[in-house]
Amino acid sequence: MPDSIDLDLLDESFAEMLGAEWRRERSVAYAQSGNLIAEDLWSQMAGLGWTALTVPEQYGGLGLGIDAASRLHAALGAVSAPVPMLGTTMAAALIAHAGSDSQRAAWLPALADGSMRVGFAQPSGAKLNFEDTSVNGIAADVLDAPSATHFVLSGRREGKSSWIVLAADSPGVTVEVHPLNDTSRTLGSVTLSQVALAEDAVILSADDRRVTDLLEHWGCIALASDSLGIGEAVLDLTIEYLKVREQFGKVIGSFQALKHRVADHKTALVGARELLSHVALLDPGDHAGLIDALSAKAHITRVAAEVARDCIQLHGGVGFTAEFQPHVFLKRAKLNEALYLTRNEALDRVADLLEAA
Amino acid sequence: MTRTFDILSKVGDEQAFRQEIRDWLAAAMPRNWRVEWQGLENETLKPKMIAWLEERRKVGLATPHWPKEWGGPGLPFGYQIIVYEELTRADAPELHMYMVSLFHTPATLFEHGSAAQKERYLSGITQGTDIWCQGFSEPGAGSDLAALRTSARREGDHYVVNGQKIWSSGAINAQYCLLLARTEQNVKSKHEGISYFIMDMQAPGVEVRPIRSITGEQEFCEIFMDDVKIPVENLIGEEGNGWNIAQSTLSAERGLLIFGGTERLARSFERDRVDGKDSWMRDPQLRREYAAFHAELQVIRLLIRKLLKELEASPDKASSNLSTFIKLSWGPFLQRYTEFLVRAEGLEAHKWKAPIPATAHTSRIKFSDFLKSFAWTIAGGSNEIMRNIIAERYLGLPR
Repeated sequence: MPDSIDLDLLDESFAEMLGAEWRRERSVAYAQSGNLIAEDLWSQMAGLGWTALTVPEQYGGLGLGIDAASRLHAALGAVSAPVPMLGTTMAAALIAHAGSDSQRAAWLPALADGSMRVGFAQPSGAKLNFEDTSVNGIAADVLDAPSATHFVLSGRREGKSSWIVLAADSPGVTVEVHPLNDTSRTLGSVTLSQVALAEDAVILSADDRRVTDLLEHWGCIALASDSLGIGEAVLDLTIEYLKVREQFGKVIGSFQALKHRVADHKTALVGARELLSHVALLDPGDHAGLIDALSAKAHITRVAAEVARDCIQLHGGVGFTAEFQPHVFLKRAKLNEALYLTRNEALDRVADLLEAA
Repeated sequence: MTRTFDILSKVGDEQAFRQEIRDWLAAAMPRNWRVEWQGLENETLKPKMIAWLEERRKVGLATPHWPKEWGGPGLPFGYQIIVYEELTRADAPELHMYMVSLFHTPATLFEHGSAAQKERYLSGITQGTDIWCQGFSEPGAGSDLAALRTSARREGDHYVVNGQKIWSSGAINAQYCLLLARTEQNVKSKHEGISYFIMDMQAPGVEVRPIRSITGEQEFCEIFMDDVKIPVENLIGEEGNGWNIAQSTLSAERGLLIFGGTERLARSFERDRVDGKDSWMRDPQLRREYAAFHAELQVIRLLIRKLLKELEASPDKASSNLSTFIKLSWGPFLQRYTEFLVRAEGLEAHKWKAPIPATAHTSRIKFSDFLKSFAWTIAGGSNEIMRNIIAERYLGLPR
């Protein structure tokens, strides 16, 4: 089946559904709603098999790779979709690559059909201790924790990186919600107090370094993709606005001071798209591939955040109102810059890897 | 003992092809050229450039990126990459005196030249005998190129040309000039009435004066034309169609020409890190700033590879939107990166050293490389012109 799927067609179907179901007005209205997740959108995505994209075929998925996931995340970013897809992408990667057969059978079908929604721990966060039969501690700042049915938390066992999969309603688990500026996602700190640690909840890989690299690679690409979608969408809608808004008796898009900024943004996004398509095809186990993935995360999330920032300025007064969409994109783009690795952390990693090359 | 090299026959076996280039470069490249050539220009540099092109010609690599139709080796894309990778790896001198000959002239003639013009002039380049320059800009027509006033008046079997050109790189060394001149004065739009000529630089009435640039070098020139006669067979395309043809010339400059430069810079980028490992690479903020350039460099290399693939698919299509994005990515990137190196190196970077030619912004004399970066942000359509093109032609913003 994967061989027969044309990713460009997939792109079109993502854009078509999201364009119809998650219009600008909805996006703007949702930002004021206080909801944790757009349930109806999530159900539709699941119904169309989007949540099954990277789940292996034998577990009810489409068995596609990060290049397909990259397209989906870009499409979700382009409408600022309030759905916890990142957790699904990351959990599917982890469980498919490092889970035991029974773990795969237990969780992958539920990820594929969208019934399992994952809050996936920040890879750079503090590690929990998984040595005992119960676990205590705090997993701080877990993305989409408030709407999750499950958490994937990282820790250490037998001197190795390992992960646990926990149901959100397990006894001893509490979530403190941190309201975000970006209301299209949610964040929460998960406190574990004497939470029983079932043996089959622990994912332990013989080659934990490889799994960590893989997760880093996938996480960087998913976030960079989301940001690329944001950057392209916010620039497009700004260009539309510049073509109709008039001041001084002229369409403001005719002013060179504005045109030149727009041209720079377009150029940066054309380059970002090329970098992302390249990175999404690289082998995650490859040293050079990891350098490029980390670079893409740092670079593309920065480009998109800058484009979104300037798009508010290009809109002028209406850009400062909650009624217009640019602020939705700016807030999401700024969050992507900080998620998983900050820019400085990513650049330090790139420098380390370059020096080790 | 010298052996003969047969690089082109190795196409089909990448390993052997690469090895043959390496062996050839080890034998044929000018020795110690970065030291020997430092401070040279024009008359003193020209014989060295000619000799190096001759070495490349002998093995069929005078014009590695030219398709067969341009009189080049017609190498598949992957093999072109290998040639540039190996030239870069060996740190071979760049044929900068031949830039117009290798890029602008073929892009122009292949799309618009007559069969006779292609036959005569492209072979002159592959034979290594002809150096070309470009006569586009004028003192009153820089970014507003179409405002050019140099006139060409038809008189029987020739045109008589009068006017002045500026910023013509290497005109002092050139045999021929790609010349834009106005053949019609009374036009509705200034883009009309411009024609495109091949001008013999030795013709009576042509005078060249070098201009000293901010690096201290004399690469640019002014060209003065006083009743210069150009035979009608040297008109490229139709009379009055010069503006359109010029777009092909400029497109070559904005895309392909950057390929060799980026590969060199990618190599130099590695060396910069090694050179700085005990100094500025220990400063966390400079180290991050350095690491951030990796993504930008990758972006430009990827865009160029995409352009090369487009060109491989249709060699007659020299113009592409991509080349504008490439130029507007490369120039500013190069300027920021070379400026970064000046800052990272501290006071050392400010001690004057004679520029090294043929190094394409990787002379490793940091201040000189930085100053030269303005060539990419101003020449061949300034950043500002690139932005106008993108905003108006590609994004549809009104004039």
